[in-house]
Amino acid sequence: MEEKKVVLKLDGVSKSFAKVENDEVTHALSAVSATMESGEFISLVGPSGCGKSTILRLVAGLIQPTTGAVTVDGKEIKGPSPERGMVFQKPTLFPWLTVEKNIAFSLKMQDKLKGNEERVEEMIRVIGLEKFRDDYPGQLSGGMAQRVALVRSLINEPDILLLDEPLGALDAFTRMNMQDEILKIWRKRKQLAIMVTHDVDEAIYMGTRVLVMDANPGRIVADIKIEEPFPRDRSSASFVAYRNDILNKLHFGGAKAE
Amino acid sequence: MSKQVETNMEGMTRQQLKELETKEMTPFQRFLEVIIVILPFVCGILAIQEYRLVPNNSTNRNPNTYLVFLILLVAAYVIYGLVAAIKRVRGDKGVYEKLRFKAPLFSALFLLLAGYDYLTLKTGILTQPFVPCLNFVLNAAWNDREMLIECTIHTLWLLFLGYTSGVVLGLITGITCGYSKRCRYWVDPIIKFLGPIPTSTWIPIMMVVAKSLFGGAVFIIALGSWFAVTVASMNGIANVDKDYFEAARTLGATERQLVFRVAIPHAMPSILSGCTQAMSSSCVAIMIAEMLGVKSGLGWYMNWAKSWASYDKMFAALFVICIIFTVVTKSLDAVKRHVLRWQNGAEK
Repeated sequence: MEEKKVVLKLDGVSKSFAKVENDEVTHALSAVSATMESGEFISLVGPSGCGKSTILRLVAGLIQPTTGAVTVDGKEIKGPSPERGMVFQKPTLFPWLTVEKNIAFSLKMQDKLKGNEERVEEMIRVIGLEKFRDDYPGQLSGGMAQRVALVRSLINEPDILLLDEPLGALDAFTRMNMQDEILKIWRKRKQLAIMVTHDVDEAIYMGTRVLVMDANPGRIVADIKIEEPFPRDRSSASFVAYRNDILNKLHFGGAKAE
Repeated sequence: MSKQVETNMEGMTRQQLKELETKEMTPFQRFLEVIIVILPFVCGILAIQEYRLVPNNSTNRNPNTYLVFLILLVAAYVIYGLVAAIKRVRGDKGVYEKLRFKAPLFSALFLLLAGYDYLTLKTGILTQPFVPCLNFVLNAAWNDREMLIECTIHTLWLLFLGYTSGVVLGLITGITCGYSKRCRYWVDPIIKFLGPIPTSTWIPIMMVVAKSLFGGAVFIIALGSWFAVTVASMNGIANVDKDYFEAARTLGATERQLVFRVAIPHAMPSILSGCTQAMSSSCVAIMIAEMLGVKSGLGWYMNWAKSWASYDKMFAALFVICIIFTVVTKSLDAVKRHVLRWQNGAEK
């Protein structure tokens, strides 16, 4: 299947939020510019408060920029669309729907479910949860739930896949498994994937490009291409070199990161 | 429930796992088990013999009604026991376990019946006819059955009209107000003002204002249910986790779908507990309305029977009220369990 090529542009994007408790305003992003396109796997890494999730939410269309523009192929993003699928840190599966119905949710909302039932089947197969199709999300483990959330947005074959720390709440082993699963899915269709993470290793392991961000105000401080073939070796010399480089850019990581 | 258990022992049912994990019973425990299961039968026979053999303290007309009632109860238990035994032999222990669980209660029920009969009919410690023995009550219910049925239908019809209209209107206002801030702005003061007034307070006003007391009663019952359902569904909708809306929006849901496919299902537990609350307030309101004004229904029947000093009829109506409210509440619970079945899965 030939993938539609898209170019995502952030052009001098700032986003500020009014604080709830007082009259002050937080500047989550300040004049951020970047260009990303299909085939790339972008890792956004940085300390909390650097605005990496804000970038994702802007691209998703859940919020609008204060100044600047976010465009896909030159068209400004006005609101959420299934063409930009998003996976959140919490799986946010609808607890009143079974696994199967959660996966089919998006097609049903767009009135496309009729005739596309086999796509739901395929998604269930991809994550290997055939036996759990009629279970409710409350019965699933964290890893299973996040897999369902992943294919729930993938069923739309989005041009852009937004991953907001999707593995943040998982244990180390499930996490490493899921990293490989996500990469496998991404490499099949090579859509533009943007993933927010706190974990520098994860950013290098998965990304073709790592955008290092810093806080106060939120901005991109480095744009590093990872020129390593997949699958990557976490202990190779070049991997370690990338890690050191990024940790340096983050002021040895420990200083500001959580 | 025969949920597949997620272990390497493929295809095992919950029941099998439970059996595998329960310890073998000692002979004494097994003996005790048999005694417990047989006990309701023994107590039933005891109640029958008590009624038949102990001499009466007051005259007892048509003595066979209560006897038939007791025999039917004992027979029902025996049939239940037989079904459980047959199912158990065939490998399904569910019915048996339920029976075993309830058996002490059934025994207590028969003992209670025997005790009540002893205190009323046999000794007169509870004076007849003010606290009538069950035989009087059953005879009264049977002899006056046409009127009782008519009153029951009337009460149920009133309850149905008032409750459903209140719930439907409550859902509409609750959901719109939960979703739209502007709507809440206007409705909130009404709820704050009307909310603290107990529904029965309206009854005297209704008797003056309303053209028909029946319509007035419907209105009062509806008002109470409307209030309960509005508050519950408004809170339910207003507390929907923002994350679900965001997820649904990125999945292509329209504003309308956010309401019907996300907000309402998410608020369902709250909405349904509002409906249960509305039912109990309706039951209270309907009885008060029937006792004070409406000229039909079980509440009216009770009052009417009291004024004729037919205490047996009064108790008969009380039992009918108990039965219909139990049935109504149970069916509401069944609906709730079915709609909220996704909540049961949370236990792992």
